[in-house]
Amino acid sequence: MAAATPHQEEPQPVEALIVESIKTDHIDVPMLPEVAGRVVRLTQNPDSDAAKLASLIQSDQTLAGHVMRVANSALYSPNSSLVSLQQATARLGMKLIAEIALAASINSTLFNTPGYEAHIQYQIRYSLLSGLWAKEIARACRRNVEAAFITGLLHDIGRPVAIQTILAKSAQQGIELSTDTVLELETKYQRKIGVRVVEQWDMPNAVIDVVKHFDDFTAAGAAMNQTMIAVAGAQIASHFMCEQGSQGCLTRDQLVSHPVLAELNLYQDEILQVLEKEDLVNSAMESMTK
Amino acid sequence: MLIVGSGPAGQKAAVQAKRSGARVALIEKTRELGGSCVHRGTIPSKTLRENALRVKNMRLNAALANFELAEDVELATLINRLNDVLLAHDTYMRRQLERNGVEMIHGRARFLSANQMEVTSVKAEKQILESKNIIIASGSYPRHPDNIPIDHEYLFDSDSILSMMYLPKSLTVLGGGVIASEYASIFQALGVKVTMIDKYPRPLGFLDDDLTETFINGFKHMGGTWMGETKIAKAYWNGFDAVVVETENGKQIHSEKLLCAAGRIAHVKELEIANAGLELNQYGLISVDENLRTAVPSIYAAGDVIGPPSLASASMEQGRRAACNAMGVASGVMHNIIPVGIYSIPELSSIGISETKARELHGDVLVGVAKFDEIARGQISGTQDGMLKIVSDPNGEKILGVMIVGEGATELIHIGQMALLANADIDIFVESIFNFPTLAEAYRAAALEIVHQRKKL
Repeated sequence: MAAATPHQEEPQPVEALIVESIKTDHIDVPMLPEVAGRVVRLTQNPDSDAAKLASLIQSDQTLAGHVMRVANSALYSPNSSLVSLQQATARLGMKLIAEIALAASINSTLFNTPGYEAHIQYQIRYSLLSGLWAKEIARACRRNVEAAFITGLLHDIGRPVAIQTILAKSAQQGIELSTDTVLELETKYQRKIGVRVVEQWDMPNAVIDVVKHFDDFTAAGAAMNQTMIAVAGAQIASHFMCEQGSQGCLTRDQLVSHPVLAELNLYQDEILQVLEKEDLVNSAMESMTK
Repeated sequence: MLIVGSGPAGQKAAVQAKRSGARVALIEKTRELGGSCVHRGTIPSKTLRENALRVKNMRLNAALANFELAEDVELATLINRLNDVLLAHDTYMRRQLERNGVEMIHGRARFLSANQMEVTSVKAEKQILESKNIIIASGSYPRHPDNIPIDHEYLFDSDSILSMMYLPKSLTVLGGGVIASEYASIFQALGVKVTMIDKYPRPLGFLDDDLTETFINGFKHMGGTWMGETKIAKAYWNGFDAVVVETENGKQIHSEKLLCAAGRIAHVKELEIANAGLELNQYGLISVDENLRTAVPSIYAAGDVIGPPSLASASMEQGRRAACNAMGVASGVMHNIIPVGIYSIPELSSIGISETKARELHGDVLVGVAKFDEIARGQISGTQDGMLKIVSDPNGEKILGVMIVGEGATELIHIGQMALLANADIDIFVESIFNFPTLAEAYRAAALEIVHQRKKL
């Protein structure tokens, strides 16, 4: 008997499985690399110190190498070359190290998404840039700068996990979905999945709230400002990453007049001041993604 | 009437002007009403204070509750009721203004002339408004000294301090004024290791030494460190693990975060007051006369923008009076007897003049002091680190001032305020029967001390 050929384009059973997985909390959430999780927790612990952090990073050679590369980048060490991790930790600070560790851990290898690596890599770059811009927005608004990076970085973490889930379920059903269908399902379910991810990764409540309400910040209650900051960061990141003239791409004028920035009560001259930090943000982005 | 700013002064000015028959527009730069008082200062810090007191009391009663505050507690959870409080406040204020027919304009105002203002919306739409009278009630914002690079991430000002994500392990507070004292003691009560640094020998220098001594002792008793007579050379984030404060005498203080509470200055940077013929005085404030009128007769100013006492309570009354004066309506007697409330832990409050000031003005005044540990209610509730002081004239008859330190001080002070306003004699506290056991009994105890001294004159 000949092997059955995969069915083409029958999303309903796949979608039903995705819905069921979300409902029963059976989404296969990738493990945040242990060392990244520990680094984030360590930097939140008031009793932690730089020596502990350095020794933790040392335990993961890939991460240690990445931290050293960032520490030695032009942005952070313009005049000197750092040779030890201890030195790098001292130079960059514990919080920045945690941000680098988390950003480095959220990469395409974390997800099993054959055929969609480039798409996910793009999404991750966009999220990282969103986090960096969210930080600048928070500073301009005198709001929570500490939470801004992490909320910006993780606001769309549901996307790669959604793709991973869609591909797994379609393989399970023996159905081959078109790219358009996969992306459509990704958009439809990524938010609910994203909430599961940050909950399982034990992220702070502020992060969970932002992910939950990212598509409707007006419903975010006490987390509304934090959510608006993440949305604003994402809009600016999107503006800088998309090709001007392409569909859905905000022009600079549209960006400056964006409703979320008005909701944050940023006047247009204040927004222009934030956008002047483009070089600084790009340098940080370049350093973190080397 | 145009009113700039919807804080306590602007809001009351708007309502009064409308009730006096004016067509009123209230211009507010932010989307929310209420100004810094509601959104960044008074109300958020008092909300945090309530939880700090609970934490402190639970720690004191650890034997009953086996309580321990989680180390990585998010600050938002300690201000958990804030959103509800702010929403309720915003709704109440909006309704009051709407009910009174005040037109609310969300935008940033600048003067074009003494009677014209341009308002730019957050979406850059402009409109020009003209009015016979304008009241500036644009409030204040934190002063940032050049040597303290505030980044709102490691080094905060009083407007951004509550945006911290986690309760830090340690905090340096620069300043010795009301805001510094409040935040220093609140964070210390929450278990943060707080170091408070100021150039003066004592915090809250406008109060008598015995009161500030009680405050310092209470602060130290909770584990805080007070460093008086210390000037700051610079402060910075070391890029690693701490904010470093370098003092002029060569000391270094490290902490996880820093709060700079170096005073507040008039928030007029976007108003372009020069176009109206106004300028700031040497203190960075707008000068007004006793009618709250500025150097330009058609422009009035009220609230923080004119400087001390910079209390929400006083600002409300100034706003009301400014509107009355502009409208030519009698505003009643302006009492200089305004209570000062300091929501530190423990609380402090005063009315009238201090003992130090009274001695300068009246010579050998009589003073009666009641310590809370000698009052039954103080012993019962454990509120023993407090005191109430009455200052009377040299004959021991007229009340000149009352000062209180200890929990409940900001409420308790109003008994003294009423006595002062009624020009009552000291004896009123002796002749009145207070509930037993209450802290109010301290009035009687302090008054009896004065009566006793009076007999010896």
